Amino acid sequence: MQEFPMADDYLPNDLKTLWTGLSANPVNISPDQLRKEAEKLRKGLRRRSIVGGGAAWIVIAAWTLFFFGFHDALQRIGSVLTVVGTLYMAVQLRVSPGRTMPDLGETDCMRFYRNELERQRDFHRGTWFWSRLAAFVPGPTIWIVGFARAYPKIAPFIWLELAAFLILGALAVPANLRLARTYQRRIDALDAAQKAAE
Amino acid sequence: MDATGTQDELYQKATDEFGAALARLAHGYEADPDRRRDLLQEIHLGLWRSFENFQGRCSLRTWVYRVAHNVAASHVIRRNRKNLPTFLTLEESELQSGEDSVEVLADRQKSLGRLLALIQRLEPVDRQIMLAYLEGMDAESIAEIAGLSAANVWTKIHRIKNVLAHQFHAGVPDGR
Repeated sequence: MQEFPMADDYLPNDLKTLWTGLSANPVNISPDQLRKEAEKLRKGLRRRSIVGGGAAWIVIAAWTLFFFGFHDALQRIGSVLTVVGTLYMAVQLRVSPGRTMPDLGETDCMRFYRNELERQRDFHRGTWFWSRLAAFVPGPTIWIVGFARAYPKIAPFIWLELAAFLILGALAVPANLRLARTYQRRIDALDAAQKAAE
Repeated sequence: MDATGTQDELYQKATDEFGAALARLAHGYEADPDRRRDLLQEIHLGLWRSFENFQGRCSLRTWVYRVAHNVAASHVIRRNRKNLPTFLTLEESELQSGEDSVEVLADRQKSLGRLLALIQRLEPVDRQIMLAYLEGMDAESIAEIAGLSAANVWTKIHRIKNVLAHQFHAGVPDGR
C-alpha cells in the first residue's frame, strides 16, 4: 500500500481539536427524570408481556372452541397442534430469562458487540426461529386443510388462503437465514481482525 | 450514603465530566438529529442505571465510555436490523482512502462533516477506537474500554492516523 507521510505531530492534533470543538449539545437529564423514564420503560415492557400473553390466551381459547365446534378429524388435529404450539411459545416466553442484559459497564465493547451479533444471528437461525415456525405453521395448515375438506363449496378460496400462508412461511425461511449469514459474516470478520492483530 | 444517593451522585459526576464527550460520541453513531437525541437519552439512561452496579473496579471514565459505546453499538445493530449496511473496518478504510480526494482542514464545517461521515461508516468496534482516539485517550485506556490488547489498539491507531492523513491535509483550522 502506498505510504503516506505520517503527520504525527500536527495532523492528528488538528483533527482532535476539530473533533473536540464539535458543537454537540450535551443533554442535561436529572436523576429524577431518569428514574421516571426507567419506570416508564419497565411499565412498557410489562404491558407488552401482558398483551402478548393475552393474545396467546385468545388463540388458545379460539382453537379450543374450534376443537369442540368442528367435527372433521383434520380440523381437530389442527386445533390441538395450534393450541400446543401456542402454549409452548407462551411457556417459552414465560420461563426463558428473556434478554439478559450484560452489565454494560463491566462488559468490554468488543465482547458486548460480539454477543449482540450472536444474539441477532441466533434469533434468525437458531432453535428459537425453528420452534417459532414449528409452533405456528403445522397446526393452522392442517386445520385449514380440514376446513376445505369439510366445506367443499368454498374450498377454492380456502386453498388460495392456504397457499398464501404457506408461501409467506416459506419466504420467511430464506430471508431469516440470509440475515443470520450476514451476522455470522460480521462475527467472522471481527474474529479474523482480532486474530490478525494478536 | 445510600445506594440511590451513590447512583445519582456518580451519574451527576459522570455527566459533569463527560457530558460533552458523550454528545460527540452520539454524533459518531447517529447522523439523524432526532434519532441522535434519542440515542443520547438512551446512553444517559443506561449510564444512570449502570451506576447501580458500579463497584470501582475500573475508572469512572472507562465505565462511562464502555456503557456509552455498548448502548450505541446496540442502537446501531437495532437500527439496521432489517437492512444491514456494510460497515468498513479500519483496514478497508485504509485501502479506500487512497481513492478519495484530500481535504484541506480549512473549512471546519466541511471537514467535520467529512470526518463524521468517515466515522459513521466504520464497524462499531473500530468506530469506538477512532472516537476514543479523537477524544485524546491513550492506547492503554482505549484497550481497557474496547477489550483489546494494547498492541492491537496501537496497530489500529496507526491505521487511524493513516486513514486520517490520507483524507485530510494538515492545515490550521481557524479559531485554534
